[in-house]
Amino acid sequence: MTAVIEARGLAKAYGATHALDGVSFSVEPGRIVGLIGPNGAGKTTALKAILGLTPFTGELQVLGLDPRTRRDELMREVCFMADVAVLPRWLRVSQALQVVGGVHPRFDRARATDFLRRTDIRMESRVRELSKGMVTQLHLALILAIDARLLVLDEPTLGLDLLYRRKFYDTLLNDYFDKERTILLTTHQVEEVENLFTDVIFINHGRVALSSSVEELSSHYQQLTVAAEAAPTARALKPFYEREVFGRVAMLFEGRSAAELRGFGELRTPSIADLFVAKMQGTPST
Amino acid sequence: MNSNLADAAGEGPPEAAPAARTGTAGTLLVLIRRELWEHRALWIAPLVVAALMVCGAVVAGLKYHLTHGDMSGEDRPGGMAMFAVMQGAASMPLSVVSLIVVGFYLLDCLYAERKDRSILFWKSLPVSDGKTVVSKLLVALLVVPLGVFALGLLLSLLFTVIWEVNAALGRVPPIPGWDMLGWLKAEIALLACLIVGVLWYAPYAGYLLLVSAWARRTPFLWAILPPVVAQIVEHFTFDTHYVRDLLVYRTYGIWPTLFGHMHLGRGRAFALSSALDQLHLRAALGDIDLWLGVALAAALVFAAARIRRYRDDT
Repeated sequence: MTAVIEARGLAKAYGATHALDGVSFSVEPGRIVGLIGPNGAGKTTALKAILGLTPFTGELQVLGLDPRTRRDELMREVCFMADVAVLPRWLRVSQALQVVGGVHPRFDRARATDFLRRTDIRMESRVRELSKGMVTQLHLALILAIDARLLVLDEPTLGLDLLYRRKFYDTLLNDYFDKERTILLTTHQVEEVENLFTDVIFINHGRVALSSSVEELSSHYQQLTVAAEAAPTARALKPFYEREVFGRVAMLFEGRSAAELRGFGELRTPSIADLFVAKMQGTPST
Repeated sequence: MNSNLADAAGEGPPEAAPAARTGTAGTLLVLIRRELWEHRALWIAPLVVAALMVCGAVVAGLKYHLTHGDMSGEDRPGGMAMFAVMQGAASMPLSVVSLIVVGFYLLDCLYAERKDRSILFWKSLPVSDGKTVVSKLLVALLVVPLGVFALGLLLSLLFTVIWEVNAALGRVPPIPGWDMLGWLKAEIALLACLIVGVLWYAPYAGYLLLVSAWARRTPFLWAILPPVVAQIVEHFTFDTHYVRDLLVYRTYGIWPTLFGHMHLGRGRAFALSSALDQLHLRAALGDIDLWLGVALAAALVFAAARIRRYRDDT
């Protein structure tokens, strides 16, 4: 299978700021990819480039198409959802179904209606009358009903409470995702969704800091927790990050095998959140 | 869209049930409908004015009497032509109101979607920027003008009914004999005026769309400023007024060409039935400035679509 997204040397500057500074990565079909980075790291710019919403330099193929020149074709196969506030406030639920159904060849209205029936959203309501969580549900209903190959989500659950967030990702996973589809997702709440990801891309200062599948992460990165006295000996194996927790020291190693480290203390695979924090250290942000 | 539901309910495989109406025309229809949902002033304002005019006509019919002499003699118009005159009269306030509403609509339509970021939703749909912008232009130059024309027709019908009711009560003289051919001619003349007007003012529409797509804030100010500043600068540096002349010409220029030296003096005041014979339609539609304006409008609309494609300020 060819890659869903193939990016080579993406670059984009806003004035003197390099939002993207030579970003390369690829996304395979059937993956759920987390695009993770601090504020202003270039995540949204990268998504906008993929969606053909902003000019940039470099090579980019999305589903084999260049978003700069073939955006109209591309959008038949790609769905995206920016954060919650983008559904027009005057739009009625029934009108939303009519508009999307009227212009999208891959929209299955019955599916959207069916999903909405299981919520408290009424057909005649306007978006402005719905709560933030309900607006997200409505947008999700529209997206679930579109048979797209790539779904791009930019902070889709920003400002939602935990119940809605959990429901959102459960629906996405159970009702939407399958091996034919690919999801690219940015979020601040990494801890909450890290079990969702099959791949992660860390991006910072417009550059890719790490790009890996989650399986590879576990063989490539180790987190070792040792007692403070044992720390100096463990330090000889060159952890790339360490921090003190309750008098013990947590160290992150890259490229060390479990066998090498096991003797020193407790060993486990670092969480994506821990790894992210570690990778972002030493590269001052904000 | 009902077909969608039916297809899906028919247990067919989802792949076999693509939306039937996603051709260019179908998409444009959906987009136009969406404009009328979002910008309700486009149809509410003319309807309100129409309702006020009907009320006015009813009240006037109750209050005032016309003496029989007013409508007799050689100047007496044919009934259908009379109808057309009323339609012309009814269309005037409707046209003025629609012009204002359409102007604000054009200025707002590509700006508001960026301001409230709903453009990100619209851009997630497989609709090109060109189609989107054209749908807005069609609303301004086709849907609203035709709507106003139809509303004018309806109003004149109501006015005629009101007049006839008053005539039956002996308040006004009855409308003389109906003249089908005269009426048809008058309708065609009104429609011709409408078409020429729409084509002549198209560059203004294109300009407003461009400003709407371009302005980061206060599109109204950005639309007003360039022509005003250009006039002032020209006045103080060259002491000329070409900009003003051009704007005046683009506002009134086609009407003398279309109407020529039409004599609507006494004795022919109601002779609108012969208006079509008097309209210089060929001269107006052959006017090079008219088509230069249309070409300019096309360029401006194209530019607006390009800006919408790449403007990135959400």
